[in-house]
Parts: sequence; C-alpha cells; structure tokens
Amino acid sequence: MATRVITIIGFCTVIAALVILEIVARRPGSRVPALGEWLGYLMRPKTGRVLLLAGWLWLGWHYFAR
Amino acid sequence: MAANGVSRSPGRLSGGPGRPVADGKDSKEERAARQWWPSSRPPSRQRLALSLVLFGYAWLAATTRPFTFMSLLVVLLPGAVVAGVAIWGPPDRIEAPDRLDIAGFSWWLVIIAVLFEWEAAGFRDNSPWWHPSLTELVDPIIAPYPLRAIAFFLWLITGWALVRR
Repeated sequence: MATRVITIIGFCTVIAALVILEIVARRPGSRVPALGEWLGYLMRPKTGRVLLLAGWLWLGWHYFAR
Repeated sequence: MAANGVSRSPGRLSGGPGRPVADGKDSKEERAARQWWPSSRPPSRQRLALSLVLFGYAWLAATTRPFTFMSLLVVLLPGAVVAGVAIWGPPDRIEAPDRLDIAGFSWWLVIIAVLFEWEAAGFRDNSPWWHPSLTELVDPIIAPYPLRAIAFFLWLITGWALVRR
C-alpha cells in the first residue's frame, strides 16, 4: 500500500514540477524556455516535426483506442 | 556581440533562422507572447467555431469503446487531418526561437527523464499494483464519459497547437 502511494506521489510531483517550470518559464527575462518555445524549436526540422506529431498520435491511440 | 542583435554567447543550442533568444530585454510584444495569463482579447469567431467542432467531435468520439475498430478510427481520423494540414496547408506557424538556452532547457530534460524513468520502471515490472504505470493511473480517471470527452478534446487541441509550430 505504501509503495503504491509513493508511486502516485512520485507521478504527481513530476507533473507539478512540469507545471511550475512552465510558470517560471513565462516570467519576463526567464532563461527557461516555455513549453511552446522548445516544442517549436524541436519542430523546425522536418524530422522533429514528424516525430512529435507521431508521438501525439501515439498518445491518442494509447489512451483512447486501446 | 554578433550582428542583428542576436546573442552568440556560449551554451546555446543553435538552429536555423528564427527570432532571437530572450535576453531579459524583451519587447512589449515578446512579453505579451510570454505572459502566463489568458489574453484579454476575445477569441476570434474562427477559433470559437473550431473549438466547437473539435469539442463536438470529442463528445462523439468518447462514445466509442476501447479496443474496437471505431475507437481506432476516431483517433486515426484527426491524425490524418493533422498530417494533411501539416503537409499541404500549414496555418501561419508560430515562430520558434532560433536558439535555446541549454541551462534553461536542461530543467525540462531532467524532469521529463524522471517521468520516463518512473513510467518505464512500472512498465518493466508489468505495472504491478505496488508500482502502477501512468496509464494504469490515468485510465480510471478518464473512464467516465464527460471526462473522457474532455481528455479527447484536450488531445485534439494539443494536436492543433503542435501543427501550428
């Protein structure tokens, strides 16, 4: 029981860290790129664009089709 | 210093042409683009119409049962549309920065790596009860129909946001 709770807390901590990082990134003058910025940077080459869109499609298949 | 006001300080990943990296002296437009509160401008009619269409599609798609052909189809169809838009009719793309600060970006890498490792550890052990995978935890949350529809809608608008970059 305790291990399961620790696992859930771990996931929640990581997701909270992502949200906090996005908030920090949007502060003026922040050196941390916002999520949209680094995704856009990765999507500039065609390979990155294809990979990220394929990843998005895979997420949809994983959570909604299976 | 370099030409065109673009910083060439070390420790920055470089790509092709794009807008200069933020150097703490953001213009008013750059600050507005980076604000973390919703814009005060009302959404355009086109955006509202698109949102309604996507939500309607999500509402219908959420009625499909997993592991069926229809559920696969309702996922593949937006995928095909997004692929078609990306190839043949990309909308005005949001300009990406031509450089990323490595130190700043490393924060994202570390947290995402931790997430993947945490998920991989659960997946490796076949998602036991004591170390469930993220999928095992998310599935019961999005099982109710309204939440499933909302999750599907969020997935659709994520795809649209990606194709605009």
